[in-house]
Amino acid sequence: MGFIGNAIYFAFHPTQLRSVIQWKVWHNPPHERNEKNETETQKICFKFLDLTSRSFSAVIKELHPELLFPVTVFYLVLRGLDTIEDDTSIPLETKEPLLRNFKDVLSQDGWNFTGNRPEEKDRELLVQFQHIIAEFKNLKPAYQTIIADITDKMGNGMADYCVKAEKEDASVKTVEEFDLYCWYVAGVVGEGLTRLFVEAKFGNPALLDRPELQKSMGLFLQKTNIIRDVREDFDDERRFWPKEIWSKHVDDFEDLFKPECKEAALNCNSEMILNALEHVEECLFYLAGLREQSVFNFCAIPQSMAIATLDLCFRNYDMFQRNIKITKGDACQLMVESTQNLNVLCETFRRVTRSIHKKNTPKDPNFLKISVVCGKIEKFIETIFPTQRAEDAQRRMKGELSHEQVEKQKAEAESKSDLFFLMAIMAVIVLIIAGVMFVTAWFLGARFDLAWKEIRSGNFRPSAAITHQDL
Amino acid sequence: MLHPSTAVMPNCGIMDSKKVLVTRGTGFVGSAIVRRLAEKYPNCLITVVDLNPPRPQQDLQERVQFVQVDVTDADKVDEAMDLIKPDIVLHTAGIIPPLADRFRRRLEEVVWAVNVKGTENVLTAAQKVGARAFVYTSSCCVTTDDMRFQYANISEEWPRTSTSLIYGESKAAAETLVLRASNDHTATCSLRPSVLFGPGDCQLLPSIHACIAKKETPFVIGDGFNLWDVTHVDNVADAHVLAAENLTTSQTAAGEAFFVQNEEPITFRDFCLAIWAHFGHVPPWEIHVPKRLAYFAGLICELATWATGSSTTLSRGSVQDACAVRYASGEKAKSILKYQPRVDLKTGIRLSCEEYADRIGVKLPRTPFTPKPQARRL
Repeated sequence: MGFIGNAIYFAFHPTQLRSVIQWKVWHNPPHERNEKNETETQKICFKFLDLTSRSFSAVIKELHPELLFPVTVFYLVLRGLDTIEDDTSIPLETKEPLLRNFKDVLSQDGWNFTGNRPEEKDRELLVQFQHIIAEFKNLKPAYQTIIADITDKMGNGMADYCVKAEKEDASVKTVEEFDLYCWYVAGVVGEGLTRLFVEAKFGNPALLDRPELQKSMGLFLQKTNIIRDVREDFDDERRFWPKEIWSKHVDDFEDLFKPECKEAALNCNSEMILNALEHVEECLFYLAGLREQSVFNFCAIPQSMAIATLDLCFRNYDMFQRNIKITKGDACQLMVESTQNLNVLCETFRRVTRSIHKKNTPKDPNFLKISVVCGKIEKFIETIFPTQRAEDAQRRMKGELSHEQVEKQKAEAESKSDLFFLMAIMAVIVLIIAGVMFVTAWFLGARFDLAWKEIRSGNFRPSAAITHQDL
Repeated sequence: MLHPSTAVMPNCGIMDSKKVLVTRGTGFVGSAIVRRLAEKYPNCLITVVDLNPPRPQQDLQERVQFVQVDVTDADKVDEAMDLIKPDIVLHTAGIIPPLADRFRRRLEEVVWAVNVKGTENVLTAAQKVGARAFVYTSSCCVTTDDMRFQYANISEEWPRTSTSLIYGESKAAAETLVLRASNDHTATCSLRPSVLFGPGDCQLLPSIHACIAKKETPFVIGDGFNLWDVTHVDNVADAHVLAAENLTTSQTAAGEAFFVQNEEPITFRDFCLAIWAHFGHVPPWEIHVPKRLAYFAGLICELATWATGSSTTLSRGSVQDACAVRYASGEKAKSILKYQPRVDLKTGIRLSCEEYADRIGVKLPRTPFTPKPQARRL
């Protein structure tokens, strides 16, 4: 959409435009990077961050200075790994050891890789990888350990997957395999980030004791992407939807895209979305454990985008025909709501959940399960942010007033006395002015004695007109 | 779906060769408790006390003894108690006013006599013969019948109301009696299930099913997002057995009340839609009736009822019921009683619909809810 297209679109969607403006005008990044003090290699890192990531670059750059470089380097290292894995022109004999030993290159000064095919999108990152290694070495040792650890896990996970894809069929069959796949591509990253947050004291250490929480964070995002991109992936001959789910609705995966199987495709999509929604409670629980605003924003924005994307996809046949995306205005509104606090974010989740709930239909075999999962999300939000408390109910029973009500009454009484005071002052002022006017009139020769006599004799008005006799 | 951890029978022997008395043991909840007890403790001695003898189709198992007693008759209750000398009493007898009388005071005396006086009789008699444990079947209505408020995720710390509807008031008064009576000789506790459903249900499912014939299914009162708790009868039965186990062992539940439900809050609309779908009915369209309008219509109906002396389904009370938020946190029952719902909502609704279809002689159509939906290939 060009400028004119945008203008026409926003002219007919003023609320969307309002959201965009709100975001652009009112969003204050909690931390801004200080470009002046950055070294040459740091600048290169940020250049690559912009090049390789569309969605993450903005939130990463607003992170607290303590975590700004660790997360940037972490992201670029994983991106490098990804670029090797994605490249189908590299033979397995080269690729497998490269992936498995990628953690070691982090300690080799000046290492870079020129073996990618020219059309590989992020090829340049690996060609100049020595800069990222240099920056990696500048990080605190604790951060280096975490990043190396996760690189090791992810590299091995990817290598396993490549070997499996080469030797046998690597298609995702069971829901368990689906979770495992998502874990390798997104969950491990979540683990690394959580460890970085806790190390920097920006996250509750209890997050490390409950790994299922950060696992859900990663899985929820990854599953949402897999659901949304089903058409694009299918056109690229990739399929990630587990057979265990789609086989309940269609006989062959291709059937999902045939118009005569529309109902089956929608029901299958519902089941996929149901599977993803089961992570929401744990995601909110995880977000409750974050203690720093920029880290919260960093985690919350993708989550709210994900649930809104699920809402967009739910019972929407368009996603089997083309790639669909949430609108720019909605995205801006979500970003505004995700960069405040957990309470505001939970309200967003409740709203979006209800929107999903509303589209649920009893024709769907998973109708009841979807309804229950939506109910559970609401119940969970109610447990962290109760709308009513037992103490209030107890007080109500006894006919006592709650703290807020007492406050309110006090405030009301205060404003009442203020009002009286103001009116009294006004009355005094009126009296003074009237007095001054009377005195002035008397000095100027007013005959109040005559006026008084007239009033007593019942003539409240001066006689209507002056008659001839008076002349 | 059976929960694997509770499907195995834990604590075998706690209640073996104990004498258990179940009041209203042929009723909806009572008979489910008897089934569960007999299954979990093949060696305990179960006596069912009821106003009416079991109907032919509810043949009690042979080893279950039956005694016919009216709980409102204190002497008869004493007599029966003396005869049985139970170790454990599960008191499920109670009366739920029919919907038309739920919001009125016409049946107050009867309800009070059975629910409060009856409970007092059974409790006193149980204490006299030295029963160790007394489990009372209360209701979430002890709190939620106060229609002025909404109840989202409430806990047991919420107060019992003394001014609500006749049912809630009577259950609250009886529960207070029971919990106060807990002492070293007789430990008591109270379970508060929410709206019950399950095979054998004569109230909820039949009236929801009847909406199809009455063509009432398209109407939605309010926004339809208000969540309710429902409870499968087998889960309540489970909770009773767990409570009895607790009161005869650690007694951590003594003097306590517990909300018991399926832990799957659902909008009442969806609960109905799921049942209708089992019977092959999907409302062709939806009409949203604003709450205020419905409330006004309810008022008109009530006036008409008052004038003609008939009974009504639509009233201000039933409109408030339809828009009410009523669900509880199950944390206390989970941590103290180790209660976990064994029958989930989906399975529970399917089983209930199958049983009800059987009862009324209807064959359930093949629905989207049947396990493998048809993947049509043209």
